Amino acid sequence: MKHTIGLIVNLVAGMGGSVGLKGTDGAMYEKALALRAQPVTPKMTKTLLSHIQKKEEISLVVAPGKMGEEYVKEFDIPYTVLGEVSEEVSADDTKRIGSEMLRNKIELLIFVGGDGTARDVYDTVDSEIPVVGVPAGVKVFSSVFAVSARAAAEMVDAFVEGTDLTEREVLDIDEDAFREDRLASKLYGYLIVPNVRIILQSGKEASSTSRSSVDSKKEIAAYIVEQMDRKTLYLLGPGTTVKAIADEMGLRKTLLGIDGVFAGKLVSADLNEEGILKLLKIYKKRKIIVTPIGGNGFIFGRGSKPLSPEVIKRVGKENIIVVGTKDKIKSMDCLRVDTGELKVDLSLCGYLEVTVDYKEGIMVEVRC
Amino acid sequence: MLKRAIKLNMNEMPYLPPKAIIEAAQKGLLNLNRYSNSEDIEQLRVFLADYAEVSSEHVILGPGSDLLLRETIQTFAKGRKIVMVSPSFFPTVQTAKQFATKLISIRLSPPEFNLNLDFLMNELNEPCLVIIDNPNNPTGKILLDRHAVEEIIKNKNVLLLIDEAYYEYSGITFADMVEDRPNLAITRTMDKAFSLAGARVGYAIAGKVFLETFSSFYAFLPSFSLHAAIEALKNPEYMRRNIHRVIEEKKREMRALEKLDVQIFPSSTNFLLVKTMVPDAVRMLKDIGILVSDVSNQLSAGFLRISIGTREDNDTFIAGYKRILKDCD
Repeated sequence: MKHTIGLIVNLVAGMGGSVGLKGTDGAMYEKALALRAQPVTPKMTKTLLSHIQKKEEISLVVAPGKMGEEYVKEFDIPYTVLGEVSEEVSADDTKRIGSEMLRNKIELLIFVGGDGTARDVYDTVDSEIPVVGVPAGVKVFSSVFAVSARAAAEMVDAFVEGTDLTEREVLDIDEDAFREDRLASKLYGYLIVPNVRIILQSGKEASSTSRSSVDSKKEIAAYIVEQMDRKTLYLLGPGTTVKAIADEMGLRKTLLGIDGVFAGKLVSADLNEEGILKLLKIYKKRKIIVTPIGGNGFIFGRGSKPLSPEVIKRVGKENIIVVGTKDKIKSMDCLRVDTGELKVDLSLCGYLEVTVDYKEGIMVEVRC
Repeated sequence: MLKRAIKLNMNEMPYLPPKAIIEAAQKGLLNLNRYSNSEDIEQLRVFLADYAEVSSEHVILGPGSDLLLRETIQTFAKGRKIVMVSPSFFPTVQTAKQFATKLISIRLSPPEFNLNLDFLMNELNEPCLVIIDNPNNPTGKILLDRHAVEEIIKNKNVLLLIDEAYYEYSGITFADMVEDRPNLAITRTMDKAFSLAGARVGYAIAGKVFLETFSSFYAFLPSFSLHAAIEALKNPEYMRRNIHRVIEEKKREMRALEKLDVQIFPSSTNFLLVKTMVPDAVRMLKDIGILVSDVSNQLSAGFLRISIGTREDNDTFIAGYKRILKDCD
């Protein structure tokens, strides 16, 4: 039985890069065309397809024309074409065709594009099926992407071989800020991808640490829960590593929100800044638990706005617990903060311990 | 028949030891039915003490420095926090994780990989075993100077263990400090610089606190290893010549890699840490018979550690790297 795999190519992704536009969101696409920017996704798509080893074990469901069909013709892979696309391709096409593919029971969705495409895919697919992201955009900061088209092909093969799955972040990048050389991003959501780490890495050193990210998060969670004090309020930040702590306690935590936990019970979910400040008036002993955003390493100021400068000041640096898997921590240069208040940012700079495993921490530099 | 793989993944000396050493090792095999002679063990300790310029009572032998490190961690981890750097020699990290009450690593961040001494000192507020490889593996970076060592061991709660596996390449040692500092120990090996990886002769130069615990630790190294090591220490000039050859080869390899768009990090060892943009380079090189070490499990994706081999091996590696680079285009 062949695996049914969807393929969507965002033709406009990456076009801004060669003409210095840093992205093709909104009106920038037209500007890119005016500057005679050339599409980059066709080459990436062909590289991907040529490196898939298990061609005889898959059949593709592709978007029409330049969104997929045009590139698969030259490869020996059976395919069917689904849906229609408008003259000027837009995010709506990605979402609509993605939904149709889901209805047609695809098992995996390959998308070629950038962070914007990843967000469209997230809006459509969420965590229903795994995806493989081929990096072709100008902005590719989300950790959901493979490192290259070739690596993406290996992820497809790994999926066919039945590898385990893991969650990766989708970031919402502010293009206007990016054009001003500022990286303003926040956590948008999580997609599920084939876990290629075990397959890609070889040798004694790699194999001895190969463990699924789910297991690593459980170990971190077990250690944090063991250390918890029943007389302290814990503000649990967004992200799956922090959610694993709530899971360990048998609590239902919002994935992207800030939740308050006291004496093993959830006292408030999805808090805003005001709600947190109210809790801080009631509970005198308090700690914040956060995990950095993969890739850029932000612990405050991105995706956790309710943990405002005022909240951080009241809780204090010594009461901040940072957690993250080793894989995530090693992929970032440092931890970062950008709370919007320089004094608070500077007070957080230096080193913070990140709990990366049971009884194990790494001191990581914090920059602002 | 399969072509021999080019081994650039274990940081061995690529040159054989002189004939006299091989003959000494063969002589050591003549009494294979017997345990090694305690006089030979004592003689090796004296030779090593002379080589390290310390008194022989501070020298502890072991079957490879990694096992001495393991023994030390196992002995001293109880009731102590272990403080290391990250990345670090991976088997040591694994052992520390296994035995530590708590393991804290100070991260060395690229591209400098410097150790921030202040942050390390902040961690020493309770009984600790601090383990630092100097030069560091896999970065090749020198992390400690005398001032740093003095600062760390000033705290009597702290035991400091420095792994000097690549001392002969870096030329930097703190062995002379051991006699007056009871809470300092150094581990070294004859595996690398002396071309004796197959003999597995490791040794520690240990301060009094370590010695008291190790007084019952008596390693029966194989007789052929003892004979080879003693012969090597009688005339270590070959080792110095080989070190010089490897360092010259390292410079040549760096020049070749610089032209190939590879990020190279300065190293005081017989290996290079590099960052490549080629995804899955380790496996691609392995497919063409070249073994290098994948250190992306400790650093981020694309980091490789490449041992310096013979001129021929290094040329093969450079040609192989060009080939995989082309395959990626």
